[in-house]
Amino acid sequence: MLLRNKLLCLLALIFLVACGKVDQSPPIEKDQSIEIRLPMGYIPNIQYAPFYVAVEKGYFSDAGFEIEFDYSFETDGVALVGANELPFAIVSGEQVLLAREQGIPVVYVMAWFQDYPITVISKADAGIEKIEDLAGKTIGIPGPFGASYIGLRALLSEAGILESDVVLESIGFTQVEAIAGGQSEIVVGYINNEPVQLRDQGFDFDLFSISDYVQLPANGIITNEKTISENPDMINKFIEASLLGLAYAIDHPEEAYEISLKFVESLAEQDEVVQKEILALSIEYWKTEKLGFSNIQAWENMQNVLLEIGLISKSLDLEDVFTNQFVE
Amino acid sequence: MDRVKKNMNGSRKNHWSLIPITGILSILIWYFVVWLGDFQAFILPTPQLVWLRFIRSLDDGSLLRHFSVTLGEVMGGLAVGVFTASSLGYLLARSRKLERIMSPYIVASQSVPVVAIAPLLIIWFGPGLTSKVIICSLIVFFPILINTIIGLRSVPEDLYDLMRSLQANRWQIFSLLEVPAALPVLFGGLRIGATLSVIGAVVGEFVGADRGLGFLINVGRGQYDTSLVFVAVFSLVFMALALYGSITLIENKLLKWNMRPEQRILNDT
Repeated sequence: MLLRNKLLCLLALIFLVACGKVDQSPPIEKDQSIEIRLPMGYIPNIQYAPFYVAVEKGYFSDAGFEIEFDYSFETDGVALVGANELPFAIVSGEQVLLAREQGIPVVYVMAWFQDYPITVISKADAGIEKIEDLAGKTIGIPGPFGASYIGLRALLSEAGILESDVVLESIGFTQVEAIAGGQSEIVVGYINNEPVQLRDQGFDFDLFSISDYVQLPANGIITNEKTISENPDMINKFIEASLLGLAYAIDHPEEAYEISLKFVESLAEQDEVVQKEILALSIEYWKTEKLGFSNIQAWENMQNVLLEIGLISKSLDLEDVFTNQFVE
Repeated sequence: MDRVKKNMNGSRKNHWSLIPITGILSILIWYFVVWLGDFQAFILPTPQLVWLRFIRSLDDGSLLRHFSVTLGEVMGGLAVGVFTASSLGYLLARSRKLERIMSPYIVASQSVPVVAIAPLLIIWFGPGLTSKVIICSLIVFFPILINTIIGLRSVPEDLYDLMRSLQANRWQIFSLLEVPAALPVLFGGLRIGATLSVIGAVVGEFVGADRGLGFLINVGRGQYDTSLVFVAVFSLVFMALALYGSITLIENKLLKWNMRPEQRILNDT
């Protein structure tokens, strides 16, 4: 009897799994508006101001969307969009190539950051005057993965430095503490985050921004092939609303900050000057003549870096990787 | 006696034969779920894909390299955790007053999630082996401490009287009475601690590392290589099982005197 009950439970579980698979319908339509859960890839942050603005100003609701922000990991967002469980996610450019290498059918449809926001931060007395000076040095990185690692490898490659010429130390996301505590002299971080915090703490340092040396695709919006073929209109509306939010945040940083206070719980308790500086720096990375456009050269550069590192094994067709059709 | 031995051997053989059967059944169910759900490999790979990834990781030496790093951290953490917890446990078992003073802090320390303080430990002790060993030892500490106290307190007062009547000194009471009496309970804590220590090492490697099975999981996730994630997870399971089995084996050898007669017969066979 016990065995029979267990078998029934197992069959019920398998049935539920199967139902879950069959019954997947990413956007939920409710009162004629589409509920969208949007994976952001990071914790609530002032950098997401364009999306907060788009919600607050009603750009998303006017387009028929009800947005719920999801602050889970970037890789989870890619997997969920790839599996068609969600229609959109915000991810960094390299993730699209890594995902497509594994057969995940995601497509980059809107460039949010125009330049790769990763930088090498070296203490002023570390003796780094040019990127070639990094050879032989120990560099603290969150780990040999993700945007920081890929950005650093791209920078080293530009200077003709091999990974074996430097010592990479995995320090987790503790770059500020590592510099402040004296454990590291050189770290890799986001230009609109760690340098601002270090400056606030009175440290002198030099920056070597990856974007000054090589153009790479940075954070943007992805969708999947199925949504592109079956629901291009929804993508158009979503991108349009996002671009309106982006443009408004660029033109009205003060108001964007005030709006973000409603979405980022701890923002009001943080140093206002520092947070506004982070926003101002981020805006510099968003600005461009044609908001949302992707540059094919940036994708080719990224592909070359990933091939060199060995994170992808073959060249991918970049027409499958990104498209500008929804931002034109 | 022979019949008892024979019956027990038979029952033990039945027990062991169930393990491969349930293993094969689990793999078949796994295949069935993938087939039924038509899952892509990055969502749920088939057992075959995981097996091929395992062979590849074994061939290029990466799996063994990461496995040995994590095992080193686990063993280091276990050693430090067992030493500090059993030392403190001895002091607390001997002194009720000290226990009353310390226990609120010890219990409170257990409510601190290690995953939350792991980044701080990486900052304080660096991203190398030390921080991982400390994280493991923190996780191991509590079960060993509690079991040491319980073990030592379980020594009957009559036996203390007997030792004192034989003019035993403090060291003799400790080595001939207290340690043997506490060992059975201490081994129970050690078995729990060994499996928890594996979790500790992975938590540390998640936060900041460039080697180890936790790092391998991070790499697998970062590259959408779910088969690699499965390989690393199964390796961790294997490590925890191997540690648990080794401790049970040592326990059986060391504590033969403490076994029930039928257990002793089984152990001898």
